[in-house]
Amino acid sequence: MPRDPSSLADILADARVWKLKDASAAPARPVWSTGSGSLDARLPGGGWPTASLIEVLLDDTGLGEVQLFLPALVECQRRVGQTSGDAPWLVWIAPPHEPYAPALAQAGIELTRLLIVRPASATEALWAAEQALGSGVCAAVLLWLKGTDDRWLRRLKLAAEAGGALGVLFRPERHRFESSPASLRLVMSKGEPETRLDLIKVQGGRPGPVELGSP
Amino acid sequence: MNRRAKRRQEAEADARRGARRARAQDGHASISRTADLFAAPAASAAPAPPAPAPQTAGRKRAQQLWYAAVFPQLTEADADLMLQKLCLHAQRFTSFVSIEPPNALLLEIKGSLQLLGPPETLHANIDACWRRLELPVRSATAPSTLAALWFARSGTHTGRSVVIEDLATLPGRLAELPIACTAWSIERLQTLRAMGVTRMGELLRLPRAGLARRLSQAAVQDLDIALARQPAPRRAFVPRERFRERCDFESEIETVAYLEKALEPVIERCAQFLRERQAGVQTLRLTLRHREGPATCVHLGLASITSERRRLTDVLTQKLGRLELPKPVRSMELKSGALQPLSAGSLDAFAGLAGSGGRDTAPQLVERLRARLGEEAVYGVVSIPEHRPEAAWRRVHELPLAFPLRAGEKTAAQNAGDGMPRPVWLLEAPLPLADGLILEEGPERIESGWWDGRGVARDYYVARTPVGAPRQPQGAKLWVFQERQSRRWYLHGVFA
Repeated sequence: MPRDPSSLADILADARVWKLKDASAAPARPVWSTGSGSLDARLPGGGWPTASLIEVLLDDTGLGEVQLFLPALVECQRRVGQTSGDAPWLVWIAPPHEPYAPALAQAGIELTRLLIVRPASATEALWAAEQALGSGVCAAVLLWLKGTDDRWLRRLKLAAEAGGALGVLFRPERHRFESSPASLRLVMSKGEPETRLDLIKVQGGRPGPVELGSP
Repeated sequence: MNRRAKRRQEAEADARRGARRARAQDGHASISRTADLFAAPAASAAPAPPAPAPQTAGRKRAQQLWYAAVFPQLTEADADLMLQKLCLHAQRFTSFVSIEPPNALLLEIKGSLQLLGPPETLHANIDACWRRLELPVRSATAPSTLAALWFARSGTHTGRSVVIEDLATLPGRLAELPIACTAWSIERLQTLRAMGVTRMGELLRLPRAGLARRLSQAAVQDLDIALARQPAPRRAFVPRERFRERCDFESEIETVAYLEKALEPVIERCAQFLRERQAGVQTLRLTLRHREGPATCVHLGLASITSERRRLTDVLTQKLGRLELPKPVRSMELKSGALQPLSAGSLDAFAGLAGSGGRDTAPQLVERLRARLGEEAVYGVVSIPEHRPEAAWRRVHELPLAFPLRAGEKTAAQNAGDGMPRPVWLLEAPLPLADGLILEEGPERIESGWWDGRGVARDYYVARTPVGAPRQPQGAKLWVFQERQSRRWYLHGVFA
């Protein structure tokens, strides 16, 4: 990216540059609310950051992990659509089961702008995610993976920054102790009675466990 | 001048003939009325002003002039293809050529007269064109489609071809034809023969209402069309165009990278070809020929109609990237699918400009994904108003890419089971469950579908697996049901 940094403002507007000092102040990029007040409060800007990669580590599906992002997906389809005139696309790559259309419609997702991709291999899934993130027509890309290497994650992060999309990667918990370029990493695990949520990396914020309020 | 004088004489003679007939039939009121109907309308008025009336009337009304060519030797099997080829020849003389099954062509030549000479000359020139192709043909020119066809079918026994330009002489000339030239059904012709009608003239003299009753309204309509009193729209032949370019390599190409380089100018020309025609394509086929063995075929599908070089290159590169050449390539051929007109929806003029910033349009993204992952791997979902959970959704492969969707505009109908909990994931097939679930919500009774043999009678619950249960998603929120007849439990969805 041999872009000429012409002014300080330009550099600061770049999503790859973040300032530790005023992390809680509203950033230039929009953020999408998580739908949970206690989680919003812990995230810089008060919601999921766009133009970045979020990594969710969990072992089994069914912990409400998609639920965590549905309000943001609805919100970004609505808000981005209002400014650009055409509702943006959501791309789900290699979901573990069939996304159930009535549930998504119930949540408020515009189904005519939802694309589901079923690649044959992990490499193809990563390639598809990179394409979708960098295309600029997708508001959010959700990707489910079993494992991947650091190099690919870096590419995804760059693509998300270029395309201004919200990138979410779901991975098994065993990758917890590997390094990751994601700007936000969280671990979800079963708990009694609620799902436990643990922020293990927050760019511009403090890591630590989060109490999810009842939805 | 000479010709015009001759034509005027003919018209006068014809008018006199018509007048004589009218006078002879004076006594029979009904018959004279039918003569009015089918003979040239000017005929009855002819006696008072003898010459000019029919001619001016005719000249004014002959809006069209049709050349018909009947090819009696075309066989059923190849007639269709042959006629299409002959159309291409005929398009030298006029822009309007129509195919008349089973074995005839119709050319509208009125518009060509100014450039290509008087009707007789033009007619002779078109005939010469068939002679050069060594095709036996019978032809005729008349002011109406059916008349031209009938004259052509009846054949020119005298050797002189029939060229009728004047509407006023048309009824008189038609009267000489045998009724078989109409190519009506055998039953209809037999009915007419039983009535003692063998010539068109006898048919034209019959009362109109009775004719419609005895034959059919369609027959009377045919007569009207032949006499140019009713328009008979025809569909013009439009040749199908495709882009096709073959490229032979001097040396055999072994790697895909070289192939891509060689394809670049071909795609450029293809895009140029499409741009000139303001058309786009949705499919492309690349055939790679080897020294031996079968050719390799690469089929490309685009998500929407396009003529953009960047998109064509993009998809081709994706496909080629995954291709393994079995043998070195000697030649390649790029062939487009049917050309389709570019509509405003498929024109992405601004997308091309934005392309410098690395931005795509949705169709571009979809076709790139499909080119690499396969057509079936990229799809959308719709929700269907149905009570049975497994029938309440469907995959869609035809994505609504072309039209923009205004924000806030809801396209999906609200679904059955509103307000009831529905899981984000649905299992392909319900999974039998062991006991030991903690039921949290429910039951929701779903009983439906008895009419199509896939009826269900189930009680759905939202459940949670206890922590520590073996072989279950632990602590997960599940959508389970109990089949009401067998009392068995199944897992059907996961609240993710």
